[in-house]
Amino acid sequence: MKNPMNVIGGLFGAGFGFVLAAAQLNEYDTIHKTLRFAEWDVFLLMGLAIGVSLPLLWVLERRGTTTVFGGRLSLSRSRIERHHIVGGALFGTGWALAGTCPAPALAMISSGAMYGTIAVTGLFIGLWLRDRQVERAAVSVPEGDGEHRVLSR
Amino acid sequence: MDILPDRLPWYITGPALGVLVVGLFLIANQPLGASGAYVQTMKAARRDTDTVGWRVWYFGGIFVGGLLATVLGRGFEWRRGYDAMSAAGWSPGVMAVVVFLAAIIMGYGARMAGGCTSGHGICGTAQRSPASWATTATFVGTAIVVTFILTSLTGLGDLVMSDGSLGVQP
Repeated sequence: MKNPMNVIGGLFGAGFGFVLAAAQLNEYDTIHKTLRFAEWDVFLLMGLAIGVSLPLLWVLERRGTTTVFGGRLSLSRSRIERHHIVGGALFGTGWALAGTCPAPALAMISSGAMYGTIAVTGLFIGLWLRDRQVERAAVSVPEGDGEHRVLSR
Repeated sequence: MDILPDRLPWYITGPALGVLVVGLFLIANQPLGASGAYVQTMKAARRDTDTVGWRVWYFGGIFVGGLLATVLGRGFEWRRGYDAMSAAGWSPGVMAVVVFLAAIIMGYGARMAGGCTSGHGICGTAQRSPASWATTATFVGTAIVVTFILTSLTGLGDLVMSDGSLGVQP
């Protein structure tokens, strides 16, 4: 399973990065204009992406589809907790100021915009700071619905 | 190379992203998130034994895909980025500090919330997760308010013209 999944992971990453750069989501100006309602493209893009994937995943889940490498398709639906709201507010603050987010920041660097390296470095530090804080508090936090998850089979 | 337009329209890129989300669930039963790939890449750098190797390939793939779309589209050029900040008269040093601190806050928040714009904003909402919908509503709402405050205080926003193009510092 290990080797084919590496290639598949690389291809999906490439497809994702391609779409982000082709839509210019890797530009500070695009995100800034979106957040002050000077253009609607990004909201429409996200809305359509959800509009396509949500019903498809719903149908596939109901049919009990088996995935190629991950067993039976299992979608995760966590209940809302405080850390979602606090984390979301912090994330939104950073998103507005840096005008980029984790995946577009990578495509920002590969489009030649060198300040993307500052954003990516900062992201690594921020993620690490939270991990370290959780480790020191010696609590275990389940994976979020948007993160890679450990599948138990 | 002008094989692609400078910017592919949202009605093409939106569904394309949706198809990628469904595709990764169908193959690996995993979300097309980005913050988790950063975490795995960090683990790989530390040589942790429980690293999910394909997430590191995925991380590198985003970089390569972005390069490909740039080369085929508007063309690659070395530059600083953040044109709107430059247009507003911000110095490169101030821009670097703002971007760096903002990215740290963003990374911390993403890890705390358990996902980012792609993980919660698209994959989580598409899974009909209440936590993802709440996180997404919170970060979009917060970002709009912060942008409003920023543009009000600094005049950054005045430089975006009504047609969406960027103005020049008067």
